[in-house]
Amino acid sequence: MPFLRGWFEWVEAFPSSIAFRESQYVYPATLTTHVVGMCLFVGLIVMMDLRLVGVANRSTPVTQVQKRLFPWQMAGMALSAITGLVLVYGQPMRFYGNVFFWIKMTMMALAGLNAWVFHRGTYHSVMRWDAAAQMPAGAKLAGAASVVLWTGIVVSGRLIAYNWFQ
Amino acid sequence: MLLRVFEWMGSLPVSVALGQSVWMFAVIQAFHLVALGIFAGAVLVVDLRLLGRGLIEQPVARLARDAQPWLIAAFLALVATGLPQLFQNALREYYSVFFWTKIALMAIALMFTFTVRRRVTLDDARVGRFWSKIVGLVSIALWLGVAVNARLIGLFT
Repeated sequence: MPFLRGWFEWVEAFPSSIAFRESQYVYPATLTTHVVGMCLFVGLIVMMDLRLVGVANRSTPVTQVQKRLFPWQMAGMALSAITGLVLVYGQPMRFYGNVFFWIKMTMMALAGLNAWVFHRGTYHSVMRWDAAAQMPAGAKLAGAASVVLWTGIVVSGRLIAYNWFQ
Repeated sequence: MLLRVFEWMGSLPVSVALGQSVWMFAVIQAFHLVALGIFAGAVLVVDLRLLGRGLIEQPVARLARDAQPWLIAAFLALVATGLPQLFQNALREYYSVFFWTKIALMAIALMFTFTVRRRVTLDDARVGRFWSKIVGLVSIALWLGVAVNARLIGLFT
């Protein structure tokens, strides 16, 4: 992403970005909160995905899972997104030069796209298979794709700490 | 005495091999985090319900029964990916206050989950809403403490 390089360098020179890099406790506190946010977000997203695949929470209709977990997923997403932005803000060039960061961002875009396509398509007929034992192929596929993508996002997120390809 | 055990763990061939591999440790660490996510989901589905949130249309007992295999599978995956990290970094862990806090909280959380929380989730009609909420809160607080201390082991060494 060479066209973004200027932006990352620009942010890196901000006094508040420098202050973040040089602080002793803000970084570990932000990173730990990012993990807690991930637990809430990814944990409940995966519980929903596994329901769509038809292997978990099978007693609960899909619409209930979608509706009731949504606010908690959003709270988790807000927590991870805010702390994630702060982490990048504090060390822009570290992330810019890290291949796992870009893999993670790409997979997050794909996960968003997957959720959008599912809600636009298969989910329209949810009333016909809401409490069914057997999920339609579209739901299974969307759920499985989401589990794979979020696994990849968590793994590549963790691997950002290693700069093997720099 | 314990120090000896940790020294021995760190000196095992498998620990040394893990330390020499460039990517093995990192990949194990990454999948430890994936298992944590699934574990958190399986815990939270039930704990949120105990708090009167989340999947409120379903009885607690049914949610807990559905979540149980995922809770146990994810915990086993956490142990399977946690032990290699402990063996490779045995001495670092031994001298980390966060590691011992994590282990202590984990022991309490496990006992709590398989005694008090299990009884409450087997038949939530037996306990009032007040106690259900307390159990849900305690469970979330204990596992949150485990995860936070675990993350801090690597950040303060």
